[in-house]
Amino acid sequence: MEPIAPSEILALARLVDQIDYYRLLQLQRDATTREIQRAFHTCSRTFHPDANRHQSSQIQAGIRPIAKRITEAYTVLRDPRRRALYDEQLDSGGGVRLTLSRDASDVTAPNPRGTSAQGRQYHALALQNLQQKDFSSAIRNLKTALTFEPGNETFEKLLKTSLEQMDSHPTS
Amino acid sequence: MAEVAIGIDLGTSNSSVAHASEGNVEVFTNIYGETITASVVAFEANGDIEVGNAARANIIRDPANTVYSAKRLIGRYFFSEEVKKARAFYGYSIEEAENHGIRIRIRDEEFSLPEVSAMVLRELKAIAETRLGTPVSKAVITVPAYFNDNQRQATVDAGRIAGLEVLRIVNEPTAAALAYGFGKGLQQRVAVYDLGGGTFDFSILEIGDDVFEVLSTAGDTFLGGDDFDDRLIDLLADEFHATHGIDLRHDRQSLEMLKVASEDAKKGLSEDPEVEIQLLDIAEGPSGPLSIERRLGHDEFARLVGDLVQRTFKVCDEALQQAGIVASDLDGVVLVGGPTRLPLIREAVTTYFQQEPKTDIDPDLVVAMGAAIHADSLVDPQSSCQLLDVTPLSLRIGVAGGLAETLIERNTPVPIEQTRTFTTFRDHQESVAIRIFQGESHEASENALLGEFEFAGFEKALRGEVEIDVTFEIDADGIVNVTARDRTTHGEVSKRITLSSGLTKSEIESIVARGDAERLTQATLPPVEENIEREPASPQALPEADFLELLPADEELREGDTTAEMPIYRANLEEIEPHSVQLDPDDESETDWE
Repeated sequence: MEPIAPSEILALARLVDQIDYYRLLQLQRDATTREIQRAFHTCSRTFHPDANRHQSSQIQAGIRPIAKRITEAYTVLRDPRRRALYDEQLDSGGGVRLTLSRDASDVTAPNPRGTSAQGRQYHALALQNLQQKDFSSAIRNLKTALTFEPGNETFEKLLKTSLEQMDSHPTS
Repeated sequence: MAEVAIGIDLGTSNSSVAHASEGNVEVFTNIYGETITASVVAFEANGDIEVGNAARANIIRDPANTVYSAKRLIGRYFFSEEVKKARAFYGYSIEEAENHGIRIRIRDEEFSLPEVSAMVLRELKAIAETRLGTPVSKAVITVPAYFNDNQRQATVDAGRIAGLEVLRIVNEPTAAALAYGFGKGLQQRVAVYDLGGGTFDFSILEIGDDVFEVLSTAGDTFLGGDDFDDRLIDLLADEFHATHGIDLRHDRQSLEMLKVASEDAKKGLSEDPEVEIQLLDIAEGPSGPLSIERRLGHDEFARLVGDLVQRTFKVCDEALQQAGIVASDLDGVVLVGGPTRLPLIREAVTTYFQQEPKTDIDPDLVVAMGAAIHADSLVDPQSSCQLLDVTPLSLRIGVAGGLAETLIERNTPVPIEQTRTFTTFRDHQESVAIRIFQGESHEASENALLGEFEFAGFEKALRGEVEIDVTFEIDADGIVNVTARDRTTHGEVSKRITLSSGLTKSEIESIVARGDAERLTQATLPPVEENIEREPASPQALPEADFLELLPADEELREGDTTAEMPIYRANLEEIEPHSVQLDPDDESETDWE
């Protein structure tokens, strides 16, 4: 492991909010995924808290925000979709940080609970209604969910069940 | 000489302890010359406490006073499914404690789970001290990758009660990869298939010159070798019932005999294609004692557990997808856990991954060896080993509607922090409840609650006008820190979430202070600590008090709509400073729906 000068660490800790992910990982804008991963490993050897357990507490405190930002940079740049968004943001002067997607399922696979925030929201409300045997509200919420996601099979199936339930419990 | 730090594999059924120094790893043997010590604690009538393989015999002889599979219970709440199951099937008494915690009752004494696990840890510590000839005070302890924060914290507490400073809790498959790849100058992508007694874990790692980067991890905390045993127990009991009309499962002692015989039969099938099951005098019939005598072959057993084996591959599918690779991208598959010795597992693994698994390291010892390598790397500044781990479960915040929004998604490398902006749900709301969950469900109640706190002190305003930045942070030790900050007043509340092992820090300290932890009963001191809250979280019946759930800032009520009580997402880009929050692409696509 390369020893780092304390002054260098403290300077970087101060600058960390101003430098973009590429500069932080010392990468070119056209870096390949492999290069990004290698840069992450190299930077981690220097800045990961585990590699600095024997340093003074002042240096350890300086390193913590850098280590977190290195991980964040890697998490964004290794993902082509996030990287594209980030590049766009950088080019338009929109800041040096990108907030990671809130739901892994949003990025990778269709979510049976819905692919849109609204769909999921109304679907969740419908499930609550069904627990309370409030079929008419459930039907209304499912119909709303389907306007956001026409053809969502989970929603349609639940709507069909709810309509059947409503017919068999006309009073509720 | 560098400090001494040991590696401990604290298993559901068996545990091991190892030490690494200058690239050499040694797994220690106990006084019987065994590298594996049963995770069993026997409380004898004369007050003696026996730990390990000798205690195992007591499971049948004295089931009420012999604690086994404590790992299945540690860090869990009394009402959890796992605890319900244990209460029905285990020979010892499991009782409810304060805050939905659990205690084990042995005669007139009560023990918390960390105390029982500490007895196993103390035994392992003693084994290491004997072999090393020096006192040991530091350790890395492994846990299943899918242990949540409560279970990890309870394991740390067990270590402290045993007199160990727990340098790090490491995931078992990660430790196995360290043992497989350390010091070999590998450039490989490997998978670890870890089928233990109680859990199944699967991890994918990138190894590059002693840097071990976890790419993804997935698991099933309700699937293990014990489930294979259960299938065999049911088969034998059903057959016996059909022949003799007696259900052996209703008799504690018969059931324990069945358990031991089933486990032995399973182990036998790792060596031989067929085993003989013989249980003499297992029950008393109308005309004398009854026995079970039966042969069991590889194929019959494979059919019996086939669906369980297939379930492990669903987990593998998930982890491969998360890592964005396919099985053929892997340079190797490392097997961990006793059940992976079974030929039926090895055959299935070979078929799924299209390659022979690596079997050159003992699957029972590989985890302890890896823990020791990591422990050494944390105390030896010269060590070249660098572990880059991920958080195995998503961290979420509770929002209106009983939902939980992800702030840090699973398989994100640590250390990391994420901030999102939230707002109030009602007009003139005075405080918000910040509830922190861990898990993969969008429904709050389906996740584990790690803790909650109230954030107040912002200026009262109309709903949606208050902006509160909530930052979730996971440090390299896996400790979660949550901060809420009001943008206007800059008021801030920070909480370290180290809740809910069921013991407070002062309780642990008092257990430790009393020295003879084995003889200690449940502590009841209130939590006292410097700014660090450790009240066990109360997961049920969350108070619908006078404060209300917060909602994300991009969410607010829609006026004059027939569905007015329903929150609707609305991205509000211009109101958000570019530096602190950017909405993800899915939100952007939703900005113009209105």
